[in-house]
Amino acid sequence: MNCETCRERIAELADGKLDPKTAASLRAHMDGCPECARELETLVRTLEALDSVPADAPSHRLRASVMGQIETEKLTLKSEAEWAAALRAGAAPAPARRGPWVPISLVLQLLGACALVVVGFALGERTADQHQLADLRARVDTMGQIVEQSVLQNRTAGDRLETVMTAAEVRKPDERVIDGLINSMAFDPSVNVRLNALNALYTHSGQEVVRAGVAACLPRETNPLVQVSMIDFLVASKAREASPELQKLAGDEHADTDVRESARRAVELL
Amino acid sequence: MLAVRDGNLDCMGELFERHHGPLFGYLSKLTGNRTAAEDISQIVFQRMLKYRHTYRDQGSFTAWMYHLARRCASDHFRKTSSSPVAVDPSSLEEHEDTERRADESAASSDDHALLHRALGRLDRDDREVLLLSRLQELSFAEVAGILECSVGAARVRSHRALRTLRDHYFKLQKETSL
Repeated sequence: MNCETCRERIAELADGKLDPKTAASLRAHMDGCPECARELETLVRTLEALDSVPADAPSHRLRASVMGQIETEKLTLKSEAEWAAALRAGAAPAPARRGPWVPISLVLQLLGACALVVVGFALGERTADQHQLADLRARVDTMGQIVEQSVLQNRTAGDRLETVMTAAEVRKPDERVIDGLINSMAFDPSVNVRLNALNALYTHSGQEVVRAGVAACLPRETNPLVQVSMIDFLVASKAREASPELQKLAGDEHADTDVRESARRAVELL
Repeated sequence: MLAVRDGNLDCMGELFERHHGPLFGYLSKLTGNRTAAEDISQIVFQRMLKYRHTYRDQGSFTAWMYHLARRCASDHFRKTSSSPVAVDPSSLEEHEDTERRADESAASSDDHALLHRALGRLDRDDREVLLLSRLQELSFAEVAGILECSVGAARVRSHRALRTLRDHYFKLQKETSL
């Protein structure tokens, strides 16, 4: 063994992760090579110093806040179970915070239409050609403009966020709730609302319409934080069908550097 | 975690008790900021609760937790890189300063402080792989899963990071002994 080979493996020896045969071979070399022996000694001393650093302990604030979250979640589960039991008994109480997504029936129709476009995209992803997909995306864009101008501006961001948060708490949401979340993620002018809607959709990533909705919204999203979160979502949900969009984004010179890098990694992972 | 996924949230408290210390230690050394480490630890457990339905019995729970922690830490670094950072006073000694502080030599004589400073000089990627493989005692297979790279790449990156840490550590030792 020469010094070059020894140096290549010496960190593994210091780390104690070398097989006995190779370790013996390295040690035999170091018996006659003070430089390599010195290299090992400095690495071992560094590791000893690293291991001797006392473990940091968090303040009580962390325990209090996490335990509080757990208790809140337990209460939510309990109240949902009670509500379900009441439903079965034919005496369901009205849920406390579940208001309509939007107050106007026309708006509901618009949102429903948006959902249809997204569903169309989901179904078309497998069968339609690129022409049809481009058409669907154009319709998503057009519908987005209509919704933005006619509906969402009429409600405060706080109200819209509360609607999203309420929807996120529903354990088994129906299609309308899912559609509402997709629409909020797609068209809401507030980054915070869009991000929360996306987070709420994580638990439903098994649904094709949800994955397709995120993939369809990615090209029209302009905020880097939301873009990166959408990319993370697509990777986490293994949405291979989104690869062409991600590839396009990875090569888009106008896109944010972090977004391009995230898209590039996502393409590799998918 | 499987019990938590299936609705037994009492087990989440047990998971917290067992894992929050090492998790906080990892994040504290990764960020060099105790307050940020606490905030990120809280977000990690919050996400465990929120996304418990997505947990699959594949690989270890610890690896899954650090996978979440890594993503939360990335979010933190992304946010702090584009906005002013509130510095934790207790971590000030880890920041390099061209003006030698009066008490610097006393602080630097502490071996732990030196190592903290050496860790602070590593690239975030190097610090991350070293902390996971050495201090959290995860296998290279687990580290590779968390970092989404091959086992070989995790091993090489960890040992390269160790050599870089050694260089910084001994350089600092030399500087402070002058």
